[in-house]
Amino acid sequence: MNLQLSSVVYFSIMSNRLRLVLKCIGTTGFVLATVLALGQDSLFIMRGTWDQLPEAPQILRLNSSANWSEQNAILEREAGMASNLVIVNTDSTSHVWALLMGETEGITIEPGDTTVVDLPALPVGTYRLGLIDGEGSGLGAQSMLQVGLQSDGYPALFHWTLCDWETGQMAAWSSGTEPDPSEAYVPNYFSINEQTYPTTLEDPNALVSLALGDTCWIAVANHGQMDHVLHFHGFHVEVLTSNLQPARIGWSKDTVPVKKGEGLTVQLVANQAGIYPVHDHNLIAVTNAGFYPGGMLTQIIVDQ
Amino acid sequence: MSTVKHILRTVTLISTACLATSIHAQQQPPQLFSGMEGYTFLPDGTPVPIWGYGWVADGFITLPAPLLTYNEGESVQLNFTNPSPESHTIHLHGLDVDQANDGVPGTSFLVTTGDDATYSFDADYPGTFLYHCHVTTTLHLTMGMYGMVLVTRPDFTLYEGGPAYAEDVPLLFSDLEVATNLDPVGSYPFHDIRPDVFMINGESGSQLEAPERIVHFEPGQPLALRLGSMAYSRVVCQFPPELNATCYMSDGRPLPTPFEPNALEIYPGERFTVLVDPEPGWDGTLPCEFWSMVDETLESVENIHIRDAALTVEEPQFIGAMGYPNPTRECITWDDARQIEVWNAYGVPVADLRFERGVLDVAGWPVGTYVARIDGGRSVRFVVIG
Repeated sequence: MNLQLSSVVYFSIMSNRLRLVLKCIGTTGFVLATVLALGQDSLFIMRGTWDQLPEAPQILRLNSSANWSEQNAILEREAGMASNLVIVNTDSTSHVWALLMGETEGITIEPGDTTVVDLPALPVGTYRLGLIDGEGSGLGAQSMLQVGLQSDGYPALFHWTLCDWETGQMAAWSSGTEPDPSEAYVPNYFSINEQTYPTTLEDPNALVSLALGDTCWIAVANHGQMDHVLHFHGFHVEVLTSNLQPARIGWSKDTVPVKKGEGLTVQLVANQAGIYPVHDHNLIAVTNAGFYPGGMLTQIIVDQ
Repeated sequence: MSTVKHILRTVTLISTACLATSIHAQQQPPQLFSGMEGYTFLPDGTPVPIWGYGWVADGFITLPAPLLTYNEGESVQLNFTNPSPESHTIHLHGLDVDQANDGVPGTSFLVTTGDDATYSFDADYPGTFLYHCHVTTTLHLTMGMYGMVLVTRPDFTLYEGGPAYAEDVPLLFSDLEVATNLDPVGSYPFHDIRPDVFMINGESGSQLEAPERIVHFEPGQPLALRLGSMAYSRVVCQFPPELNATCYMSDGRPLPTPFEPNALEIYPGERFTVLVDPEPGWDGTLPCEFWSMVDETLESVENIHIRDAALTVEEPQFIGAMGYPNPTRECITWDDARQIEVWNAYGVPVADLRFERGVLDVAGWPVGTYVARIDGGRSVRFVVIG
């Protein structure tokens, strides 16, 4: 899909004099000015560590502020309305940003630079965005864009960003080298919202908690290098949106494939009380470093 | 009995009998038992250890586990006995059972060694479902503890207002990694399991080319292919246009809009119900590709042979070889049989058979699995229950 992002890099259209002034003021000042002027929200490309993957020395994230978080920020937009987004690269290397809808080219953001990009008007659904350079995507700086899913609390909205990780690849990217492309991909960690089970149960978006009779929507995005397939115990869900499998919209499913690069939205009606697992039914993905249970596993809890 | 003896006797048994799960719907098993000392056999005859479920307490298990069939609307009480040395459960995949009957350790009950349990649920929706052990799932399911569940309607329609069909054809895709099954304790870490045997109803390669594995049809009498996957792989069924296939259901629910599949993707845990009404005289295969979920390489292509029944006149034993009822308490009938030989599950011949006009009297026989060779040719499995 070619959405003609027509991104606007403000630095590129500013006069050299203004650019020099802004450089002097500094990135933070520019961002604050931009946000105040245009009311945009921001994503900060940040580098840090991740307690759940001790073998991975460094990771990258898209945070909503300059405060480090292990979880990527989730963005929201209204359906059918174009908007802007400020991206601040606090990392020491350049990265390439894109709305991830099949694009192979993006916007390069140099270290310390700030970019304002256009987000096109999109229909209701779940989308992916983030870094598409090898290091950026390999270290996990990819997030979710929810369009038209905000509903003032009803239906309740949850989100699951799925990813698979090979810590050997991550170690290579962290050390500034590219992983050997001839090496087989052997993912050894699997996550929902950058959490691995049982920590997924501590994430209020990964753990779906509902009252009996409630309806919720779950926005799902697959940032990994492989397809995943979510099995819901206790419930069937209805596929509301999908960018890669539109033929499946309207299907009622207990086992939902989420293809590599896909964003989809499902609706769940909590018609029975209890605690029910949801997990990847590709069983290698319900492990942490090879040990079961772990990985891509969470729960739906329905109170009477 | 030593493991070696068990293998040898089972190999002997297999050499004279075809023990793979029938693709024809059987009478609902009254009880499931677990087992951890079973074997399946690769096309070259190599025995591979499996864990699984069976119908009888003598430890005889099959890959896949017995087909469970229920009627729509039935209140089901599925009894389960675990005589094996590890705890097990039954997760009724897709049947949306309540938490207590979900078969998940920690949130549902665990059936420990020597225990009996009953899983209770209502079969509210017709369709294709699965079941499997959910204890250390990466190991117990991988070792073979899985099977298919069909919920059907007596009027042979897929669902209320849905299309009619003539016969159910359960087709369960799965795979295994031989090294894991040979050494389950040493199978850690689980994330690097890479299957190397790819199966349809527990068989692969040349096993699927056996005459008794051919799916026969009569023109104008649609077959309901009940496709489900317990594989690690992504399965892609490549439907030839001559099959006139239409996909009506997925995961036990009607699709909003049925469609004619060309390449139907089936991910692990998914099910589809596809009606086929092949062209008269058609004799061909439905190729099923197994693709790696990790690196998208094509791992294997297994074929389902489908043939117009009118082309199989040279094999009269095909008709009536199933035997009924099966399982049985008193007697079992093969309509066209004139002569019969029977072995128990350990390959020991059963003497002094009471057999007359196609009816074998089994009253008083020990509970167990038996194999009958009919008229010196076709061999079939049957079960005697208490």
